[in-house]
Amino acid sequence: MPDSFKMGNLPFSLLTESEQKLLRSNLDIGYYQSGEVIIKAGEQSEGVYVVYRGRVAESEPQDEGDEMLHVFMHYENEDYFGGWSAMHGSAIHNFTAEEETICHIFSTDILLELMDSNPGFADYFQQNLAAKSEIVAQQGEGQDMAEFMLATIEEAVVRDPLIVNEGTSIKESTQLMRETKSDSVLVRRGGRIGMVTGTDILNAIVLNDGSVDADVATIATYRLITCKPDDFLFNALVIMTQQQIERVVVMEGDTLVGVVQLTDVLSYFSSHSHVIGLRLERASTIEDLREAAAGLNNLIKALISTGVRIRFTMDLLAAMNKRIIAKLFDLVVPADMQPHVCLIVMGSEGRGEQIMKTDQDNALIFRNGLNWAEKHQTMQRFSETLISFGFPPCPGNIMVSNPEWVNSVDDWTQNLQDWSMSNDPEDQMRLAIAVDAKPVAGNVALFKVARNWFLRTMRNNDLFFSHFAKAAVEFDTPLTFFGNLKERGELDIKKGGIFPIVHGVRTFALEQRILATNTFERLEALVDAGVMQESNAKDISEALGLFVNIRLRQQIRRAEQTEDGIDPTPNIIELQQLNKMDRELLRDALLVVKSFKKSLTSRFNLPS
Amino acid sequence: MMILPRAIRKFKDKRAVKDPRWASLFDKYEGDEVVSLDCETTSLDVGEASILSIGAVKIKGKRVKTSERLDIKLKPPADLTAESIKIHKIRAADLADGVSIEEALEQVLEFVGNRPILGYYVNYDIRMLDKFLRPTYGFGLPNKAIELSHVYHDIIKWRHVGGDVDLRFDTIADKLNMPMIQRHTALGDAISVALMYVRLKHGDTPL
Repeated sequence: MPDSFKMGNLPFSLLTESEQKLLRSNLDIGYYQSGEVIIKAGEQSEGVYVVYRGRVAESEPQDEGDEMLHVFMHYENEDYFGGWSAMHGSAIHNFTAEEETICHIFSTDILLELMDSNPGFADYFQQNLAAKSEIVAQQGEGQDMAEFMLATIEEAVVRDPLIVNEGTSIKESTQLMRETKSDSVLVRRGGRIGMVTGTDILNAIVLNDGSVDADVATIATYRLITCKPDDFLFNALVIMTQQQIERVVVMEGDTLVGVVQLTDVLSYFSSHSHVIGLRLERASTIEDLREAAAGLNNLIKALISTGVRIRFTMDLLAAMNKRIIAKLFDLVVPADMQPHVCLIVMGSEGRGEQIMKTDQDNALIFRNGLNWAEKHQTMQRFSETLISFGFPPCPGNIMVSNPEWVNSVDDWTQNLQDWSMSNDPEDQMRLAIAVDAKPVAGNVALFKVARNWFLRTMRNNDLFFSHFAKAAVEFDTPLTFFGNLKERGELDIKKGGIFPIVHGVRTFALEQRILATNTFERLEALVDAGVMQESNAKDISEALGLFVNIRLRQQIRRAEQTEDGIDPTPNIIELQQLNKMDRELLRDALLVVKSFKKSLTSRFNLPS
Repeated sequence: MMILPRAIRKFKDKRAVKDPRWASLFDKYEGDEVVSLDCETTSLDVGEASILSIGAVKIKGKRVKTSERLDIKLKPPADLTAESIKIHKIRAADLADGVSIEEALEQVLEFVGNRPILGYYVNYDIRMLDKFLRPTYGFGLPNKAIELSHVYHDIIKWRHVGGDVDLRFDTIADKLNMPMIQRHTALGDAISVALMYVRLKHGDTPL
């Protein structure tokens, strides 16, 4: 019954009270000296070990002559191990105490009993990444809610009050409400303040046959429910629920500050993105647009900190960026030219997978033989304006200000073909960026002609695909780096995780002539096409989402630490910043990448 | 009561065992298990103290078998004083659903068997149990006793030539860098002592 065992950690927190009791009463404590093997490869694991003190390394069994000890993972501080080995009969790796270690231990029988009675716990132990992420996300929901609820009333949703004096007629009041888009009005009567809602007016006129010229003060309610500006939004919600009302008056001492409405409280969560979207839509000058675009970074931070799923965040952001770019196109490109050109965004922008504003990767395709003298001047201005909006210029100069990326349909298709036949890594990269292209403004047909032609010519060109896929397996996916936890371990997540997935999926998608450019959508399409198993696609999606999420959190943290607000090492994951849960998920996700690379290697006959 | 060496008393006691159930307690122990045991009492004077709770765990090799344990709360004794309440944080209310001393002793004998008994100042705990055992059973605990502070002292003494070794419980736990689990509960102390014992038996010599 040692209460030294922490039930609050996943997956044990998933257990019910009686299951936790069962677990507690079946725990043993094991003591291991530094260097002692706790579970030996090939032998049976007694059960699940949870580290209480010390550190345990999981490593590949060493053959004679092996010099390097290949450590997969370190376990410490409430990490658990041995569950997999226990369920599969025998361990495939060695588990060795690296320092004096004390573990809580429970037997395989108990593990199986708990898995049997608790499906969530079982999923968690099956090492299924998608299921695991789902569980973690669900457990996190409470916290997000808490953050939301901790907002104060003044930060969130106070509306300016509409106040009229005693003697104002119901009709006048209603007109004022209409003009100010309020659905309630406050009435000053002597020293008191009363409230009249739209419903009150309806009742007075329709049900009670009142006159529209009657004094509005006669139908007001003077027993007002109030709260203070620094009250939690949560309290306002509680008051409204208790009193069965929809509005609360905000008072600072004796001063009237405003009114909080139930609908505002409820929509507080989503209103940020909504507001920015509206502003983008209404922008009629470049200045308006710039101001609206500036709100995006805060929106991203808000979404991330409130735990909105990363894929939704990416979708929302892609939509926002697309609107900004399309709107700017409208403002910069003369209306008579717009039907003859097509603006495309490429790379992560084209896939809709950028989070922070990423480099501009864009190009312009124009109708063969178009005569437009100010073409390059206009595009120059377009790129510069985007830069001033905070979209960094592309370091490879892949943007419309560069005449190389402003082409007629014929030249564009020729480029695609040239790149696909070239061995130059630069050309390979250009092609990879270009096949993720998405049209955002102008005449979409121009883009489609070029793309469809390209997809047709690539058909069954095994040599090309084999060549193209190679880049995905070029970088090692480093599982050993968890061993460096104490030595400021760092991982380039783009090379090790994101790029292999994105490029591998891109290759599969091209081969199947899938039109979607978003990696998640491509994966879904690959499942529909029967090329990929659904469970694999799900794991790959989860892995990518996890990489992006973890990277983003570190980017935000680092960006805040620099003066210019730009993260100098955007693709680096610093291990010591991760909590236990993240580390575990990251490790599983990297294993997913490893096996995906294996399938690429065999599918496209890559040298292994 | 006559003061007799434990060995002689044990010899006498063995003949006094009336219930054949307990005869095996006097057999020589052949296994590799040890029982770590601790009693929380109302006083440090065996003569006047009552037992509040008894905790015990088995140790097998390097494993503290907290899954095989004894965690007994007794009925509140008449002499539960404010003083002992402060130390053990056990109030009469906590013991309301406790068992009788007779039931407790039976559980202890059943659990311990003829295994060696480990403790910190273990003789105190054994004497406490004996005090209640003798009137009903006619014998005291015959088990071999292992004193944690002796085990510690034997291992560490060469580092302290000419000096006294600090044998306080907290000091030993600290020197061994062992966690203390639920301090001042009988079971918690029994587990902590068991961990220290395993550490002393199987780990490196502490500094």
